[in-house]
Amino acid sequence: MLSYIIRRIFVMIPTLIMISALIFAIMEWPPGNYFDTYVAELEAQGEAADLKEIEELRKEHGFDKPPVGRYIHWVTGLLHGDMGYSFEYELPVQEVVGSRLWLTLLVSFVSVFFTWVIAFPIGIYSATHQYSWGDYGLTFVGLLGLATPNFLLALIFMYFANIWFGISIGGLMDPEFKNQGMSMAKAISILEHLWIPVVIIGTAGTAAMIRRLRANLLDELQKQYVTTAKAKGLHPFKALMKYPLRMALNFFISDIGSLLPAMISGAEVTAIVLSLETTGPLLIRALKAQDMYLAGSFLMVLAGFTVIGVLISDIALAMLDPRIRLQGGSTK
Amino acid sequence: MRHFIKLLAVLAVLSNWSGANAQDYIGAPSLEEAVKTGKLPPVAERLPTNPRVVNLAAMGRKPGRHGGTWRMLIGKHKDIKLVPIYGYARLVGFNEKFELEADILESYKVEEGRIFTFHLRKGHKWSDGHPMTTEDFRYAWDDMLIDKTLGRSGLRDVLLVDGKAPKFEILNETTVRYTWDAPNPNFLPSLAAPVPVYLVMPAHYLKQFHNKYQSKEKMALLLKENRVNKWRKLHKRMAREKKASNPDLPTLSPWVTTIAPPADLFVFKRNPFFHRVDENGRQLPYFDELTLSVGTASLISAKAGAGDTDLQARNINFVDYTHLKIGEKRNNYSVRLWKSGKGSAVTLLPNLNVKDPVWNKTLRDVRFRRAMSLGIDRHELNQILFFGLARESGDTMLPQSPLYDEKYQNAWSKHNPKLANKLLDEMGLDKRDSDGYRKFANGNRIEVIIETAGENTLQSDILELIQDQWQAIGLKLIIRGSQRDVMRRRAIAGLAIMTIWNGLDNAVASPDMSPSELVPDSQSNLQWPQWGIYQSSEGKKGEKPNLPAVIQLLKYADMWKHATSTGEKAEFWDEILNIYSDQVFSIGIVNGALQPVIVNNHIQNVPQEAIYAYSPTAYFGVYMPDTFWFDNQDNQ
Repeated sequence: MLSYIIRRIFVMIPTLIMISALIFAIMEWPPGNYFDTYVAELEAQGEAADLKEIEELRKEHGFDKPPVGRYIHWVTGLLHGDMGYSFEYELPVQEVVGSRLWLTLLVSFVSVFFTWVIAFPIGIYSATHQYSWGDYGLTFVGLLGLATPNFLLALIFMYFANIWFGISIGGLMDPEFKNQGMSMAKAISILEHLWIPVVIIGTAGTAAMIRRLRANLLDELQKQYVTTAKAKGLHPFKALMKYPLRMALNFFISDIGSLLPAMISGAEVTAIVLSLETTGPLLIRALKAQDMYLAGSFLMVLAGFTVIGVLISDIALAMLDPRIRLQGGSTK
Repeated sequence: MRHFIKLLAVLAVLSNWSGANAQDYIGAPSLEEAVKTGKLPPVAERLPTNPRVVNLAAMGRKPGRHGGTWRMLIGKHKDIKLVPIYGYARLVGFNEKFELEADILESYKVEEGRIFTFHLRKGHKWSDGHPMTTEDFRYAWDDMLIDKTLGRSGLRDVLLVDGKAPKFEILNETTVRYTWDAPNPNFLPSLAAPVPVYLVMPAHYLKQFHNKYQSKEKMALLLKENRVNKWRKLHKRMAREKKASNPDLPTLSPWVTTIAPPADLFVFKRNPFFHRVDENGRQLPYFDELTLSVGTASLISAKAGAGDTDLQARNINFVDYTHLKIGEKRNNYSVRLWKSGKGSAVTLLPNLNVKDPVWNKTLRDVRFRRAMSLGIDRHELNQILFFGLARESGDTMLPQSPLYDEKYQNAWSKHNPKLANKLLDEMGLDKRDSDGYRKFANGNRIEVIIETAGENTLQSDILELIQDQWQAIGLKLIIRGSQRDVMRRRAIAGLAIMTIWNGLDNAVASPDMSPSELVPDSQSNLQWPQWGIYQSSEGKKGEKPNLPAVIQLLKYADMWKHATSTGEKAEFWDEILNIYSDQVFSIGIVNGALQPVIVNNHIQNVPQEAIYAYSPTAYFGVYMPDTFWFDNQDNQ
């Protein structure tokens, strides 16, 4: 086991190096850089940019030299825990991202929890009551959630939340709380606003989860041991929970790999529409404005979490499911 | 009439202020607590000895009361830079009629168009209470603008005449002077610009970040604390007056920021030392606070419709009008329609520096440009896309500008396909293909490819309609959706044949404002980017303009630069406008398009109708938001 983990960790290093090179290359690919975007943006408003000053900035950040130098500068910075400098915010990237991380984690956490709470019972019910009205009905609702674009749901929710409940449009709290420290009133305001993104992000995930749980569980339910257990007179609930459900949970554990990065990036599109103070809109805006260190470092962190997440889920699977073997190679 | 108003103003001042004593000034109630505890001096000591009296009654407005919070919405945190623009406290600034007036300065004098003498207000103070003196002018000049480290990118063009910087002198305690060898008509307008040239900076605060005044050890500590590697960067970050990003930086604006980015809500508080008072002696601004809430830009109109803003025009467009109207009653605001100050809502720009030799020759032929313009039915576009509320015109001045002339508006801008066809035939483009489109001499169909920035639907709607209209003159229009930077880069490189962009940014210019927008001036002029680069780099880069009409334009622009009187300047402006519209260097469609402005029904003094533009109105700036006030208790 230990040697497996060590091997996996060593494989992570070249993976991350390749990802960093890819990220950088893709960001360098489009012509121009942040400063061009900035000038164009100013001019679109009719404001004249001070080109001398921009030229100065360009030189200062090494944009007059080939990109390899910038790449090395960026990567060595990352190794030291320095995520670089955001041109757009004129601040170190850590400070920009840091302030939004907590709310992002909160939204992600609650929506994942929401997904599980809804999807689990429904998935089990659908599997055990296959082809019943309940199965069809609930699956239909779930699929509806999956098929409706999140941004559309977000707009509809926002409109009615404002008209019916008077909740301010967008954001995670009423504006007056934005700069305050945590207080009872602020917590209530956050709760008032939180349910909208949670329901929207949650519904999309629910359908997929219901279907997967249902399919996996159905596979197990038809197996001999379930019949045997029932024949021996085991309580039907126990006969379901103790064996088949556990066997059907592998997909759930392997999901952790993708869950980790999703936690910190938040659902970008929904967050933009709802104007949430999470990291998603930050990333999208950085990509659009070619604020390359902010975007790049953020993507690197996501990549890092994905790699780690996959490792964790692999280890967890190996530990929880004795059928899985660590030593690969030919097992024929 | 103006003299009469001035007389009134003088009378008002005399009756109120003859022998004015300190007790006559009224400070904001919100600051009283601080005055009582001794944190702030009383209002009379906060104001300069001779504050600027804004006579609201004479402006047709109502003097008001202190208090309230102006809530507004912004699409990205950087837009907090709007507050210094809205606040519009300038050494000299434009008034509502776009005339220059002393504001921070008590008065100024110009001699021979080249000697500028500024008189400061005695006792004027920064927002932290420190006196604002000639030392602050000296610091901004010697230690920033011409400092060999901080000013190493060189002085802004507006401060140079024939490449030479002015001489800066301190004449006495309250007088400074800038002297050039030759006239510099750009100087005062650049001080009155929405983002001005800052000639006065708080030396007492900034010296700690300047290596001339700070010890090495202390500087090293400061650098570490702020995570920068050079003192130049630190000083720059701390001194960004125009971005309002440093809460500690003293300012002369009506509102001072209290929160450093990144944040999602920015709060600006009143400057207790602001130098303006109303005719009753109440210190301005009236609003105690400004809050700017950051959210997704595209959501702003929806939030505005839900009443989340008190006064807003940014990120709101005419297409939102109906939706905003619906929310009016429920949320107690009204939507006013101001007019855009652009020369044309959108304009087609033939790229005279296009690389393709055939196109280059064609576009440089004035007959082709005129034909394209004559082939557009502006009336139809106006009816369909602007409900007939805009004005059909070439890309030129609005009637609100003293330089407006009907002949510029109508030059080659009346729909006349017959004449257009005649012009094109004359050019030898009379051969047509089987679809009825004209062909070049080499047999290729004439396909006018117009590139768009692909960010607003108005542009593509207009192009699609023109596509139909141009069929009648045998021109095939192809729309190429692109992206802003890509489009600009292609135009500069001479790859784009034509582009669609905004019209003149300042179409309410007065003779004293620079005509640089109408002549090759920088790479951002998409109709002649290479000539613009040539001009701005003083001939080091780009191509030398070689079209006679453009050479004429440059000649007049140069004469404007050396003119000393307003009359002379107006004359050169006329020449420039005449050539520009007659040569159709940009093909305007309609101007005076409408800009919705949302105003809380309790806010007083916001004009019913006005021009909304970046330059010269500084958005709301010249209408003096410091004189807006809430007439109800709830908001105060």
